This record gives sequence, structure tokens and C-alpha cells, in this order.
Amino acid sequence: MNYGKRIFLWIVLFWIGSAQVFAEPFVQGGPIGSQTSDGYDALGPVVEQPIEFPHNTHAGRMQINCMYCHTYARRSNVSGIPRLDKCMGCHNLIEGVKDRPRIKKLFEYWENKQPIPWKKVHDLPDFVRFNHERHIQRFYFQEKRPVREVCGYCHGDIASMTTARRVKALSMGWCVSCHQKDHLEKAGSTVTSHGPNDCWLCHK
Amino acid sequence: MSLSNLIQNWNSFRTRRPYEGQYDDAPYKWAMVIDLDACIGCNACTVACYAENNLPVVGKERFGKGQAMHWIRIERYWGEGDAMTSEFPDHGAQYLPMLCQQCEAAPCEPVCPVGATHHSPDGLNTQVYNRCVGSRYCSANCPYKVRYFNWWNYPDRAWPNPLELQLNPDVTVRSKGVMEKCTFCMQRLRAGMDKAKTEGRILADGEVLTACAQACPTSAITFGNLADKKSKVARMWKNQQVDLAKDSQEKSEEGIRGYRILEELNTYPSIVYLERVRNLEA
Amino acid sequence: MTMSNLDRRDFLKVLGISGAAATLAGCGHTSIESGVEEVMSYVHPQDFVVPGIGVFYASTCAQCGSGCGIMGKVREGRVLKLEGNPESGISGGKICGLGQAGVQAHYNPDRLRTPMYKGEGGLTPVSWETAHQILEQRLGPNSPLKGEQIAFLTGGVSGHQRVLLENFLETFDSTHHVTYDALSTATGRAASKAILGAEQPLWNIHKARLILSFGNDFLGSGVSPVYMARQYALFRKAPRGTLIQIEPRMTLTGGNADRWYPIKPGTEGILALGIAHDLLQHEEFSRGVPQEILDLVKNYDRDAVSDITGIGSDAVRLIAAQLWNNTPSLVIAGPSVEGHPYGFSNAAAVQLLNVILGNRGQTMEGQAEHPFPQLTPTLGSYHALADLNQKMAAGKTQALLVYGTNPVFTAPSHLPFGESMSNVPFKVAFVTHMDETAGHCDLVLPLLSALEDFGTHVAEYQPDGVEVMLQQPLMEKLYPESKGYGDILLEILKKRKPEAYAAFPDYYSYLKTAMVKAKPVFKVSDSDDHFWEDALRNGLVKWNGKPTSLEAKLPALTLPKPAELTTDYPFYFVPSIRPDMRDGRHAYLPWLQESPETMTTVVWDSWVEIHPKTAEAMQIKEGDILQIQSATGSVRAKAYLFPGIQPDTVSMPLGQGHTQLGRFATGVGVNPYKILDPIFDDRTGELAMHATRVALRKTGEHQVVVKDEGPTTFQNGQKLVATLSADQAKLSKEI
Repeated sequence: MNYGKRIFLWIVLFWIGSAQVFAEPFVQGGPIGSQTSDGYDALGPVVEQPIEFPHNTHAGRMQINCMYCHTYARRSNVSGIPRLDKCMGCHNLIEGVKDRPRIKKLFEYWENKQPIPWKKVHDLPDFVRFNHERHIQRFYFQEKRPVREVCGYCHGDIASMTTARRVKALSMGWCVSCHQKDHLEKAGSTVTSHGPNDCWLCHK
Repeated sequence: MSLSNLIQNWNSFRTRRPYEGQYDDAPYKWAMVIDLDACIGCNACTVACYAENNLPVVGKERFGKGQAMHWIRIERYWGEGDAMTSEFPDHGAQYLPMLCQQCEAAPCEPVCPVGATHHSPDGLNTQVYNRCVGSRYCSANCPYKVRYFNWWNYPDRAWPNPLELQLNPDVTVRSKGVMEKCTFCMQRLRAGMDKAKTEGRILADGEVLTACAQACPTSAITFGNLADKKSKVARMWKNQQVDLAKDSQEKSEEGIRGYRILEELNTYPSIVYLERVRNLEA
Repeated sequence: MTMSNLDRRDFLKVLGISGAAATLAGCGHTSIESGVEEVMSYVHPQDFVVPGIGVFYASTCAQCGSGCGIMGKVREGRVLKLEGNPESGISGGKICGLGQAGVQAHYNPDRLRTPMYKGEGGLTPVSWETAHQILEQRLGPNSPLKGEQIAFLTGGVSGHQRVLLENFLETFDSTHHVTYDALSTATGRAASKAILGAEQPLWNIHKARLILSFGNDFLGSGVSPVYMARQYALFRKAPRGTLIQIEPRMTLTGGNADRWYPIKPGTEGILALGIAHDLLQHEEFSRGVPQEILDLVKNYDRDAVSDITGIGSDAVRLIAAQLWNNTPSLVIAGPSVEGHPYGFSNAAAVQLLNVILGNRGQTMEGQAEHPFPQLTPTLGSYHALADLNQKMAAGKTQALLVYGTNPVFTAPSHLPFGESMSNVPFKVAFVTHMDETAGHCDLVLPLLSALEDFGTHVAEYQPDGVEVMLQQPLMEKLYPESKGYGDILLEILKKRKPEAYAAFPDYYSYLKTAMVKAKPVFKVSDSDDHFWEDALRNGLVKWNGKPTSLEAKLPALTLPKPAELTTDYPFYFVPSIRPDMRDGRHAYLPWLQESPETMTTVVWDSWVEIHPKTAEAMQIKEGDILQIQSATGSVRAKAYLFPGIQPDTVSMPLGQGHTQLGRFATGVGVNPYKILDPIFDDRTGELAMHATRVALRKTGEHQVVVKDEGPTTFQNGQKLVATLSADQAKLSKEI
């Protein structure tokens, strides 16, 4: 096979592969060990956290809006981690669960005024800037998509997990696949636009 | 792959030039005016750049080999010709703050074999570090010599603990083998543009400044959005009769100070310098 | 993004828990990771603290005495960058390179982290408990020290740091606060006081049509460079003023002059009288001028002056003609005028021009009267150190406390301060870095950096009214074992005088109480807490005062012609002050070491500047290592050929040559302070820093000069820095 043909084949394969992935970029990642078209693990490792935080209870069963705890996500580049007094704001008042081991641990941190050393689950390379604020403003506030869907574009269905696990590739090809799609400009409108594709938008 | 990139880049470079009204519909085109009569050569801008952009201090030996990493530097000249015309510098020294000119037809861009440097929609020459393979063609092709190469892995040595706590988290710390250059403090621009976008507007004039412009004690550096006709920088360009898309400027009368450095190379820089004024009768 | 209503200390408490503990992204992490880095939650932050967004806090720059208001950008508990504070009338939102490097002083890897006490093996780390025990034993309530037995040696100190210091001495019935400044302007201040009645008049630079500066580097290393540079920018706008600079070695300001003249060092006063002589030929100027002035200048005709100064008689006429044509003008003198055996007369002769030209009340005014004289800065002098040295050598000093000055490094070798220190039984240094003087002390106390501590500052130069500048911590302290200068003093004071100080738990509360007490002077009707919070938020409290008027007196002047150069010492020696290094205290800041000195572009080194013509005659090339020999001593440095220097003069920059100031300063360059000859001003007793004469000896060695400029320092016909004649420029039409 000569060089030109090989390139052509690669392009075709890439196109087919990406067409499959791009058709529905918001589904959960595949089983452990499977890879996305650009070779990243589709499913991240299980990360042990200092407290096994049950997202499924908070976001799933209780239907708490993601942004109630993750308040920084709509205001800043980084979503940060919810502040400790946010946890205490509710748990101080929920007598029924105070004797559970996880809550006891929480109170321990609070009483020692110690931050909880969470492990970062969605960690991009240092040369990448991802702006949480812009994505949430665009899809949640402008297009009025449901919050679990908007966060889920990149984080998957966290409401079905206990501690979070990465289920999306978060690779550049994967980001671009969504930026190339047409999105409604705002709720009720038929005008669409796609995400910007300038290098310096995400590379810092 | 890289050869075809080169050819493609070069072709588009040869055929595409900045044209009149190019940025008329764009929200932003970043540009600068540097008044050489106000510049006093005090180095406030250069240190501000070190602080803002995580520039490594390379030390004497490497500085001596030309490996200094100052994205903006003050050049000091003693004369316009090739020798002193008098025994002493009678009219002082000539200071020139030299930084990336963010050329509209940038010689650095077409020679990159991997597309690590390209032109952004708001008119900047970008450098994408993780894409750069360190061919250094861009630096070789830059007539202003404002691209700086990481010959060493500075993260290992340039910030002994706890100096690294000062590093700006919005700017990548560059590792060995990549080229870097002035970005017009795009981390500041990006934060400002994102904020403005969320608020459904474009950035107001002077809302975001580069670190050098903000520090400059004599306000010799004016930074702003050339696409906004009302911005100070756009009014200054117009007042100084410099047109972004022309490679030689016609002035309506004598005594208009604006010029672009090495404009004759058809680089279409985004920085206008204002001539230094001296009372030669004094 | 400025500080909103909050109690600053609560904020810091919060940061102390979470911010300082937050892990930092490692460098060069280039893949997508899970479960590798930690991300810390804030425990109980203020609502305006959002991760990823910087918050600006106002404070005051402590890098020099100009008192610029600054803002520190704080993110995730770290201060990242300093900017100027627009509220400050001095900085006006601008900041110099030296100021920016304040963050490197704070994060410097060579900061002292624990107290040190001199044992048998030299200084060794001790606990604060021990340090306090030693302090209490020596300086506590049972200390027998009295009066001049105790000496507090400082650099310029102002605000409540000064008040506390003097209160501390008072408990020993002492007023022995010695202020030493290696770059003292005491001679110039004395001359100004003698003629104008004000040590440091206000210069309305922007109103001047012509500035005639005799060696005053007001844009670089003068009294308030950032403020002056801002005024200079206005001065250069239409109608553009002209700057004429006369000095033996071109300073940064000289590099910006419309016309620069090299003058033989020490003859500035004679030139000034020559110019005065020419001016007084015009009836308009001589009318009303006292006879004594006319008598004084009558022997200084152009030709005589030209012979002595090396400035052509045409030039003298031209300068006078321009002063004649451009009013108001402003004439100022700088270190190169003052640093001579008759520096006082030299500077006074220069100031006399202002009187003749009628600049008083136009471009020169007196500073506003100060509502708090006890807060004004103490300004250093050389003879204060010499006096102290004498007392120490005679064994009269029992305890020496040193803060903000490094005389072992900056005193010339004929003032062996280090040796005299061995006669003092108890010596304490308050430092952030181990320096040469601290190395001679018995107890060395690690201070908080300027970005970690509270304080107030009052600048010497107050352009508009009086600003009391507030300094506040921009982050939690880096080293638990460091303490604030005010806190340490207060702790001793609490033991010595509990009735007055026991109520203050720390320096912060002392400062707050003192400021709030001063509230009525500022005519603020807010509540105490509001007043204090506003002050912290703005970084300053302003007192509106009017400029005062200046007097005109004529002191007796002695202006002999300087002795001719001899074959033994055929060169004038001019030590130059680098705007970033100043007296050398900033040599440990890597940004400044790597920042090319603007006139020569040399980095990380010392060098000796020689005029190319002189170098040619002596067959010296750039990089030749020369021995610079004075009657006092010698140093070796590389030759740098520099056209901006009087041909009989050689110049070396001050500030390098440290033997002890951390990794970035130690062993870099040489220390020219040590070769200055013992020559003093005849009136003030100040060291005449520009009066030393030297011989140059070639060593035959050669090294490359590490510098930023390329092989040529000319533009070779390219339009890089174009120059337009002022009469062609149309500045008034510009935006």
C-alpha cells in the first residue's frame, strides 16, 4: 500500500470512527478498557475519596440541583470544590443521619476546621483552560437545557454514581467534536451556532 | 505531513494579506501604541511581564548565550546610523521596548511545520506549547527576534521553592523544547472576553490591559481593541495615520509620529510606535 | 474585584486553614488524570472568594521609601502579582520594576525562617521561646540599659513602626534612634533647607517648560520615581517641555534628556554660577536680585567656568538663553552634585538658580504641613552612622538593634562597622534575609515579609496633601516561625511598660487603635470600624493640605576649583545608583538581577564604565578586567565602553558584591563602596561619594560582558527608534 492510500484509509477510518462517536457524544463512556476514537480511556479509574460522597443520594434521590453545591461552576473558569460550610449548612440540621460514619467524618473535618483533601477526578493537562462558567451560561442559562444534562455533557450521569468517576474522554478531539456541532443559540430559537475553534481559547 | 503543512501555510501566506475592513465585523482586534517620547526605559514593563507570564530567570551563563526569556525587552541605541556622530550621546539614549509585534502577515506562522503558531481571530500570533516540536523555524524567520526557545527545562530550576508559589495559574509553565513569545497577556484578555460574553457585551476600552501597559509609569503603552473604532488605540492609529492593512503609510503632513517597525518587510505589525521627540536646539 | 466589607483578619484566618494548605498544580502535567492531584475545599470563606478569580487587596510598597500604593492580586490564598493602586496619589495605579519584585522578596527561597543565636559555632537556629528569653533577659524590665547605651539603627522608617520604635527607646530614657542611608541625600536636603527653607520642596514637573537637572535621576532612583515618571509624561505632552541634564555619568534620566552634557565631577556649582552670571546680564533677571548674589556670581564668566567644568562657553550661553526663554523652569540637583567636599555649596549654587529664575511658587512649592510629624520618615545620613560607630568603638554601646539597613555592606572600608560591632555585647538584627550585618549580630530575628505584615507608611515626598499609607498582609505567612517587626517590639514593650501596652494583643490592634484615634484629623464622620475598613480597602487615608511657600535665603558658599587629577589617580570615580538595586538591598531578587541595567544592558554583574575615547587611548577593550585602585582600596571589574560618561571619569554601579544575601546575590560582582575615600562634605559631614579618584590597571585578563545589547548599538539606518525634532512635532493635535 503506498503512502497516499494509507493516509486516505486513515482519514476514512477516522471519519467513520468519529461519525459513530460524534453522532451521540453525550452517552456514557464504554466499559473499562475500551477506547474512544482518539485513543483515550473512555472510563477513568475508580478514585478513592476521603469521604465516599453519595452523588446518587444528593443529586439523584433528593434531586438537588448540581449548582446548589457546585456554586463556583457558573461564576468561574474552575468549578472548585464545594465549600465545607455548604455541607454543614444542611447537615447541621439533619439529625437523622448524624450517626452515620460518613457524616461523622464530615463533622470531624468541620470541627477541626480542616479542608477535605478530595482527589481530582476530572483533571485536564496544565496547558488547557476549560471555562465552566461559559459552558453553563451557554447551555443552562441561555439554551435552558436541564442542569443534569448540561453538566453531564462532560461529567456523565453523576447522579447515578456515589463518588464521581470520569466517563468521558475529555480529549481534544472529543472537545472539538462538540464544538463542531450546531447548538441552538438560545431556548426557543431556531438559530444555531457552533463552539469557537481558536487554539488560544483552550490552550493557555 | 509537516512538509505539506509548510507548503500549505506558505501558499496561504503568499496569497492572504490583511485587507481593508478585515476586522470591521470582528468584535476584537488587539493592538498597541508605544510612545517612544514617553518611554523612559525604566524596565517596569519587563519586570511586570516576568511576574505575569511565568518567565524563567535563566542566570548569567545562559543569558550570555542569548537564552534570556524576556518577552519584552528594552533595546538601547546610541544612534540612528552605524556610528556615533558626536563624542557623546548629546540627545540622550534611544530606548525601544521590543516585544512581539503580533504581525498580521507574520513571518513566523507559515514556517511552522506543525501548525503550533497561527493567527487568532482577534489578530494575535498564537503559540500552542503542546503542539510545538521545537524546530525553531519561527524564531529564525522573525525579523524582530522576539521568540524565545526553552533550551532547558526551567521548571526544574528556575523557581526554587517557594518561588514557584508566585506562578500565575492562568499561564502554562513551559517545558524544555518549546518556543514561547509575548501573548499580549491573552490570559487576561480571555478572562475579560469570557466575562463580557456572559454579560452579553464586548469589552469596554481599557477594561483589560496587558501587564506591561498597566505597569508603565509614564503610560507610554496604550493597549486596546482596534476593531472598536471608539477605543483610544483605534483613535490613535487613525490620528497617527497608520493603516493596519497598508505596508507603507502616506501621511498628510510632516510631523506625524506614528510608524511601524520594519514595515517594509510587509509584516503588518499590530504595534504602532510614536517617534521619540527631542528638542534638538537645546 | 476590590475588597468588600469584611474583617480582614477573619478572612486571613479562613485562608490560613484552607488556602495555605491548598495543593498547587505541578508543573508540566500534560495528560488527563484522575485521582492524582488533590483539590482542597475552602472551609468557611468569604462569599466573594471564588476559586479561579483573583481578588485585589490594597497595600503599600515597601521596596523603597516612596510609599506607592499597590494592589496585590490574591488567588487561592497566594499573592501572585502586584499592581499600582489607582487610589494612591503617589503611584496613581502605576508601579516600577523594583516594586513588582516585591513578590520575589516575599517568596524568596533564602528568607530567614527561624531565629538565630550566636553560639560557639556561629549563628545557629533557636526557638522563639529561647529568642524571647534572650530578649527579655537583655532588654526586658530588668535590663540596666539606659540612654545611649542602647542604639536602634535603622534605614528610613516612618509611620507607626517609627512611633513604636521611639516609644520603645523611650522606656530606656533613650532617643538614640540612628538612621543610616548609604545613599543619603542629607547634603542636598541641607542645601535646599538653607536656601529655600524646605529640605524637599515639591517639584511641579508638569508645569515646567524647562527642567535643568544637575545629576538628579528623578526618573530612576530619585525621591519618588513612579510619581516623577507620571509627571514627566505630562511634561512631555504639548506644549512639550525640554529636559537638560548635566552629569558626569549618564543616568536613566540623562538618557531621556533633550540635551545631555558631561561635566567634570564636582564643578556643577561653578557651572550653575556661570549660568547665573549669564542670566543676570539680562536686566529682567537682575532687577531685584540682592547685591550679594550679584557679587557672588560676578567672577564666574562663561570662559572661566568653561575651563573648569569642561562645558563649552557656547553651551553655557545656550543653557542660560533657554532658561531665559522658557519660564517657568525648574532646576534640581542630585547625588553627583552633593557628593563632594563642598557638596553643600555645590547644591546650594544650583538651587540659587531657582531663586534667580523666580521658580518659587511656580514649579517649586513647599510640601503641605504635616498633621502627624511623629509619623514622618526618619531620613538617614552617613554621619549618624559614623557617630554611632565612634561610640561603639569606644565601648559606649551595650546593645545595638538593627532594622532595615546593612552598614557592614554599605559602609566604606574606612568605617569598619563590622569590627566596631564586636565591641557591643548584645546585637539584634530584624531581617527577612541573612545579610552581612545580621551575620555580625548575636540574635537574628526572622521578620514577616512586607506582604505578610501590617504597617503604616508616610512618604518623604507627598505630592498632594498628606497620605498615610496602609500596609496589610496579602496572604497568610509562609513561615510559622517568622514574626512582624511591630509584634516583636510590642511584646518587649508590654513587659517593660505593661500599663500602656498590655491592652494590645498584637501590632494590628495597636495600629488600628492608633489610626482610629487619629480619625478626627481626617475629618471623617464614619464609625470607627468603617473608617478603619475604608482605610484598609483604599490602602491609605488622605489628609488634604495646601502647598506652602518657600523662602529665599543666601547661605555662604565656598566653591573652590577642584584639584587637578594627578598621575597617581588620573580618573574621577563615580559610583552610580541603579534604579532597581539602590544601595544593594535588592540584589537578592532574581528578576532584578536579570533585568538589564538600562544604560548598559549588563546583567548579573559589576562593571566599570569608560568612555570609548579613553579606552582607545589606553587600549582597553570591552571585557578587559581592570583593577580600579583608589587610595583606600581596589576592586576588579570588567570594562564596559560607555559613551555617556565624561572622559576623565570612570563609573561603577553600586549594589553588587554581597558576601551574604542569599543565592542570587552572593558572589555576584564587586562592592565599590569599599574603595570610596574618606572625603566628607565640609558643612554636613556626609561622605562625599563622588569625590574619590582612582587609577586603572589592566590585569591582562578578559571575560565576556554578559549583556542584552547586540553586537551593534546603532540602528544602521533602519527605522527602529526614529527621532523627530521638537519643532516639527504636532503634539497638540495628538490624542
